[in-house]
Amino acid sequence: MTLNLDDEQDVTITKGMVRAEFNFWVGIVMDKFYDGLQEKKFIGTKCSKCGKVFLPPRNRCGDCFAKAEDFIDLPETGILKNFTVTNIKISERKSRNVKKDQIVGLVQIDGADTAMIVPVLNINPEDLKTGMKLKVVWAKNIKGHPDDIAGFEPIGGV
Amino acid sequence: MAKVQPAVISVGFCEHASKRSDVNMAELVNEAVEDCLNKAESVEWKDIDYIINGNMPAFEGANMPELWMTDHMAAKNKPLLRVTTGGTTGGSVFVSAYYAVASGLFDTVLAVAFEQQSCGNTTVGLASVALGELSIYPTLGYEATRLRRNMGAGAAIGVASYQAMNYMRRSKATEEDLARVVVQNRRNAAKNWWTHLKMPTITIEDVLDTPYISYPLRFGMVCPASDGACAVLFTTEEKAKQIADIPVYINGVGSYANEPAIIGVDCGGAGQTDPCEQLGAVKSAELAYSQAGISFPNKEIDYAEVYSPFPNQELQWVERVGLFEPNSAPEAYLNGVTALNGEMPVNCSGGVNSTNAIGASAMERPAESALQIMGKAGNQVPKTVHTALGHGWGGAINLISHVVMADEPQRKFK
Repeated sequence: MTLNLDDEQDVTITKGMVRAEFNFWVGIVMDKFYDGLQEKKFIGTKCSKCGKVFLPPRNRCGDCFAKAEDFIDLPETGILKNFTVTNIKISERKSRNVKKDQIVGLVQIDGADTAMIVPVLNINPEDLKTGMKLKVVWAKNIKGHPDDIAGFEPIGGV
Repeated sequence: MAKVQPAVISVGFCEHASKRSDVNMAELVNEAVEDCLNKAESVEWKDIDYIINGNMPAFEGANMPELWMTDHMAAKNKPLLRVTTGGTTGGSVFVSAYYAVASGLFDTVLAVAFEQQSCGNTTVGLASVALGELSIYPTLGYEATRLRRNMGAGAAIGVASYQAMNYMRRSKATEEDLARVVVQNRRNAAKNWWTHLKMPTITIEDVLDTPYISYPLRFGMVCPASDGACAVLFTTEEKAKQIADIPVYINGVGSYANEPAIIGVDCGGAGQTDPCEQLGAVKSAELAYSQAGISFPNKEIDYAEVYSPFPNQELQWVERVGLFEPNSAPEAYLNGVTALNGEMPVNCSGGVNSTNAIGASAMERPAESALQIMGKAGNQVPKTVHTALGHGWGGAINLISHVVMADEPQRKFK
């Protein structure tokens, strides 16, 4: 069969569905993190050699290749390391634009050496400053899920 | 000829199982890397110059797992390369590590291969590997729905059943002969600590009592889908002599592509009608033996690990790589030649038939052969192993890796 692409009549269009289901094991280390969220607590791990603290937890330190299997509780407060402001709706494809600007920030929990990307709430974009202190806002329904962290807000309001 | 003589100094595994849900992919790999480094006490993780990582392309839906697990395989701020070539991935990772040392560019190289099949959908994964022509089909005017007709039952077994039919016609092998290979593998696996299907009391009758998946292959003959990882540490001859009691020198490496036979478009694309002919394996073996100075593999090789998810493949490979005369393998298995205490022990680790973490499988073959030379294998053969081979197969039946190793460096011809 020869296809003449100039003539659309000759083009065959095939549609098919491929079912691709993936399920990932978080493993016992990340499991502990989600157990912590269920109790409204941040649980990280600490490197047995250099003392770096990882949140979310991981069981190896890349800098030392040493075990980081000691779990430690971390506070609900942190520092805004970086941020961006967007009016494109995050993780929603149906309606892209939103009326109110959203802020996403890189927040380093006090005592941790890593930062998490989280929504920053209850502040006007013009008041944002890197280095400002923030505190976690928990979701209404806690499920042991990443969404348990609704976001972070400035301590005491700005 | 290699510029620098590469040697294997350590091999590590994690425990393989159908579901390693206690760890994520990075932690799974870490277990094998730690096991490997713990067994080479004088090597620090900082001594590793280069890391090569591989698993099947997106089987778990993770496209760049090597970046995810960088910290977990001692690769932070180091040169890193990912290699993926279908079922031969592990073999290609092993060969790439060999090239890295042999070229003189790197001294100490860590090869890591893994698969956590319980996370993914193997059938979808195989659609991109065993159905190598998937993307070519539309350009030939074929509809996607036509693929189903070609593949028979599933992907890999669809390929293997064609090989089995041709092999059985050529050699007059019976289903009982196939079952005997399975029994030997599963009983061997029971004596090796890291394997998946451990069946110390399985019999030929047990295997033949299971239903057909795709004639002539039965459920009891098919490899499992495993979660697991393997790590191998390579270094130069000079360093290996200082580090290891018995360094295993890699003396010959061949990796040939062979046209796919039965899964060419309606068999038309290959110019080859016998899927058990496997010229790629013959050519790879010839090249590796010539590099290693081996003229009579059936006499000079002491131990072999071949890649056989299905029992007919084990019979086919040991013949194609020159260990047995054509069509004589079934008799050798009947007479116990390939058993643990036989003259030519094959797959004493339990083989791919007992454990198949796909991306790792083709590296676990040369890795286990190296352990047999070191005398440190989980199911160690009683005789002394001087020369051994590790073979890998995969990628729409068209890529073979063949590694020959020994306790002495490559013979130098002048």
